[in-house]
Amino acid sequence: MTSAGTSENAAESRNASPQLAPADGGVTDVDPHKAFGSKNAPIIMEVFSDFQCPACKTLFLTTNRQLMDNYVTTGKVYLIHRDFPLPMHAHSRVAARYARAAAEIGKVEPAEKALFENQEKWEQSGDIDGTVAAVLSSADMTKVRALVKGGTLEPLIDKDVQLGQMYRVNQTPTTVFHSKGQTYPYSSAMSYEILHQFLDQLLSQK
Amino acid sequence: MIEASPWNLRRVVLWIGRLLLGGIFIYAGYSKIFLPNKNLWPFFILKFSISLNLGNFRDQVEAFKMLPPWGVQFVAHTLPFTEVILGFLVLIGWRLRIWASLLTFIMIGFFVVVLRAYLLHMNINCGCFATPEPIGLRKILEDAALSGLAVLMTIFAFVEARQPHPWAAAEKARDSLPAR
Repeated sequence: MTSAGTSENAAESRNASPQLAPADGGVTDVDPHKAFGSKNAPIIMEVFSDFQCPACKTLFLTTNRQLMDNYVTTGKVYLIHRDFPLPMHAHSRVAARYARAAAEIGKVEPAEKALFENQEKWEQSGDIDGTVAAVLSSADMTKVRALVKGGTLEPLIDKDVQLGQMYRVNQTPTTVFHSKGQTYPYSSAMSYEILHQFLDQLLSQK
Repeated sequence: MIEASPWNLRRVVLWIGRLLLGGIFIYAGYSKIFLPNKNLWPFFILKFSISLNLGNFRDQVEAFKMLPPWGVQFVAHTLPFTEVILGFLVLIGWRLRIWASLLTFIMIGFFVVVLRAYLLHMNINCGCFATPEPIGLRKILEDAALSGLAVLMTIFAFVEARQPHPWAAAEKARDSLPAR
């Protein structure tokens, strides 16, 4: 997932604990480290996902890349990634912490990719630290570990969960689309073929 | 259609089968098509909702690892609508022998698939309704009971056609007489 310049610039201008900024379209509590694209995009997509969820893995690995290339970087969609660790997944909250920590230092893309690609391994072993360490430098990993242990990331994850509960999210992935004052929550993974037709229709609405 | 006449075991089973199985099939098909994403308007939203729901069902069918890709697509896009139509036809009792036979065939087929998954310890969720439910012994027993009811309903539908109740037979005989 490319940062489109947003995560990196935000990390430079902030301290260890990021501040949450309001976004357009009535969407609030946006962590700039986990948001991609232009805030002025006509469509806002909030994706609630769980790193231990197989359907979320499918969504990330099959749809996300094309979405980023064709809609996010072109300014059509503002993509916000929300953490929604499900209670039945033992390691998903820890995975969310590591992903957020990596996002803080501008390494969200390799960390999330590693977590989703190796989902079956770490959900058995619980070795999330090793999974993320395999794709980051030791210097970056030191920062990530410090952030995970620092405890500043937990309130951010809780905020995402509360927001999901407000939208009545009960499964992952759930994507909430915001366009022209309307909100459309959708559950389950969606193929890019279906998603791009929907986005094009939303964009063509007057 | 079944004429009004005194109850016997055969007719009770037929009515229970029609109501229960017809209703279950209608709900199963409806939930696959419209749940959990049920934003209905405008039309392109509805189309997107249905596509997502059927895509979700396609993943559940694929998880059983029994069909080639084209088979998975075919089942995912036809079975939910077939269930709704079949359930409705069985419920109203029109041409019951035909539709009850088809319903029983689907019911038994599904029971075999689920039983196979259970015996192979496949860690998948049953795609019966919109909300995934794990396959356990309880699910197997439920499906076995429903399959048994479907078989009985079909057999009794054929028996009823060949040996209608005397009251119903008398009405049919009267109806077949030329008008005076």
